[in-house]
Amino acid sequence: MSERENKPNTSNWFMWFDVRHRDIGDWAFVLHRLTALGLVLYLGMHLIVLGTLTLGPDAFNSFIDLAHNPLFIFGELLVVAAALYHGLNGLRVGLTSFGVAIPYQKQLWYVVMAIAVIGSIIFAISMFTA
Amino acid sequence: MSTSKWDVTFLVYRKKGQGTPHYDEFTIKVNPDEYVLDAIERIWAYQDRSLVFAHACHHSTCGACGMRVNGVEKLTCITLIRDVTADGGKVKVDPLRNFPIISDLTVDMGVLYTRMDEVGHRPVLPLSEEPAEPGVKPVKIAAEGDIIRLADCIECGLCISACPIANTTSGYLGPAVLAGALQHGLDSDQHLFSLVEGENGVWRCHSAFECTEVCPSYVEPAGKIMELRKQVIWKRIFGIAK
Amino acid sequence: MSKPHVIVIGAGFTGVATAHDLALRGFEVTVVERGPIVNGTSGRTHGLLHCGGRYCVKDQESAIECIDENWILRKIVPQVIEPNGGMFVALDDNDVEYGESWTAGCDACNIPYERLTPKEALEIEPNLNPDLLLAYSVPDGTFDPLRLALAFAATAKSNGAIFRLYTDVTELLMDGQGTVTGVKIWDRSADERGELFADVVVSATGAWSGQIAEMAGAYVPIQPTPGVMVAYDRRLVSNVINRLCKPSDGDIVVPQRRMVVVGTTSYDVEDLDYVPVNEEHVQLMLERGSELLPTLRNTNSRGIFVATRPLIGAGIPGRSVARTFKCFDHKENDGIDGFVTITGGKATTLRMMAEKTTDMVCQKLGVSVECRTAEVPLLSYRQFYALQN
Repeated sequence: MSERENKPNTSNWFMWFDVRHRDIGDWAFVLHRLTALGLVLYLGMHLIVLGTLTLGPDAFNSFIDLAHNPLFIFGELLVVAAALYHGLNGLRVGLTSFGVAIPYQKQLWYVVMAIAVIGSIIFAISMFTA
Repeated sequence: MSTSKWDVTFLVYRKKGQGTPHYDEFTIKVNPDEYVLDAIERIWAYQDRSLVFAHACHHSTCGACGMRVNGVEKLTCITLIRDVTADGGKVKVDPLRNFPIISDLTVDMGVLYTRMDEVGHRPVLPLSEEPAEPGVKPVKIAAEGDIIRLADCIECGLCISACPIANTTSGYLGPAVLAGALQHGLDSDQHLFSLVEGENGVWRCHSAFECTEVCPSYVEPAGKIMELRKQVIWKRIFGIAK
Repeated sequence: MSKPHVIVIGAGFTGVATAHDLALRGFEVTVVERGPIVNGTSGRTHGLLHCGGRYCVKDQESAIECIDENWILRKIVPQVIEPNGGMFVALDDNDVEYGESWTAGCDACNIPYERLTPKEALEIEPNLNPDLLLAYSVPDGTFDPLRLALAFAATAKSNGAIFRLYTDVTELLMDGQGTVTGVKIWDRSADERGELFADVVVSATGAWSGQIAEMAGAYVPIQPTPGVMVAYDRRLVSNVINRLCKPSDGDIVVPQRRMVVVGTTSYDVEDLDYVPVNEEHVQLMLERGSELLPTLRNTNSRGIFVATRPLIGAGIPGRSVARTFKCFDHKENDGIDGFVTITGGKATTLRMMAEKTTDMVCQKLGVSVECRTAEVPLLSYRQFYALQN
């Protein structure tokens, strides 16, 4: 397959997140990528925090105090929401990839969003009232 | 058809040779029931003879006139001006993405055509030879005249332009080519199979469904890619695609 | 020894076919086209591969050309042809009466046909007007306009022809003694101007051939005649449907992919570069088309377009002009050497037009090579984009 010398007119990874004038499927795709990046970031932070365990109980406990801050709880809520969306949309993508419900991919996305939003609200209530 | 004329301003992407790209503005009187391509042709005929744009059949059978109209991939010969702007409004016209620009609104689709040849897609088929598509009704002309045909792909490149993956991975075969590969089915030849399941094949797709969204020709490439995935898995497990 | 160089102006059907024939016969060829391949009349045809039945009563020369070329194109470029067949359908007594001279015409021109009863016709085409009186099946077909041209262009390219697209011919270069020696060009994609020299310049500019000939002070009796066509968004038929009557407006329905195209009309224009749609004709297409296919009324139009046919013979009203083609050596009529015009004709006869034009070029340059385009299969049209020269 011959590649031309003249480069294609656009090729920027940030164009992944260009959703102007685009449709549901593309929004799903963009959110999927964003939540994936968020979750990877979280995983990194999580491992760093766990790493404080090796520095002894004081270091870890001082971190746990920080974790009671409402701003921190909100951050955790974002992680929960991202995980819910990413997991559920993963199921949607998986289903369609096996040829299931392709004509209904948009409706499926609404279902994914609905469950993700309701789930996040339930988590929010239980996290902030705990 | 007999509505009053609209004043519409067209913002047209311009690029000559190695020059810097920019936009030119053209305001013309149009009938809202004309097509965007009519307006562009008239801009060329009466306002700027240097404008370069591709077109041929003017009725959506050749696929030459794909452009981005207000950011969205359209076959301009069947896109009514009424549907993309209003009286006194603006229309932004860009060349397709993910292809090298030749000049102004024309892009080089050579790579797409070469790949279509490589998967052996045939663009024109007699009804009698049209292979039945898996999962859909067999080809026939019903009294109401609806038929399903894979040969509908007109190689306009809209799907490649809309695809967020083709945007970053120029090696990705792309929606039109993968849909074209389904015409013969994966059992037909080993080269086709290795292309389709290879690193630039069906598994590159990340299910944004933009190709199906912009396809002017009922091909629904996203659905075809999913069908191919099924065939690939089947062939890997049972040694035969269907 | 360098090969003689021929410039072909225009990459419509005639231009690409002539480039193919010239390249095959060993000429060095440069095609200069102001747009992409077939952006003018050729691209906008309805894509009917004529069997000749439309012309077999009044214009048998054209009819014979059609049926001969129909068979040849099926052989050399099957990749772009849907050999679906066609039907001539009679809806009233006038049509049935016309059928008698029509069958006689078909016999005279060697066009095979088969008579169908209304029941048989409706079995093949359930969307036909159920009140039809009789029908004949004929070997019509449909071709993809752009891809037909690309197949010729691709094969020409593989034999060395060079295509300069998006390049206007701004002037014909003359040597001061009445001989055309080349063209002045303006490459719009790079915005560069230049000159090209040739032993012969062929103008294959169809409806625009009058304008090009004028650049050399020559004359071509051309009558550009636009016609309106409407594409509908459902494929209502598998065959081409012709009304069994003498050629008039809106009497052909051509299936293309998932559409049907109804054509065509004829009217006069002044400016060829942009021909507006005649809105009354759009309505007429629906009325005439739905006489053949009543369900057309429940179908949405998808595209409305205009193509300007190059008819030969100025001053004669559209339909009565012969649909054959003509090749002009401007040395004979205008005393201008090195310059040939090919115009008229139809898409179906593109190869034959190219053959006659190339014969004329050969004769002018004193070369004698046989034409082989009727036997040589064309390359995949996609090679036009793959080949780099």
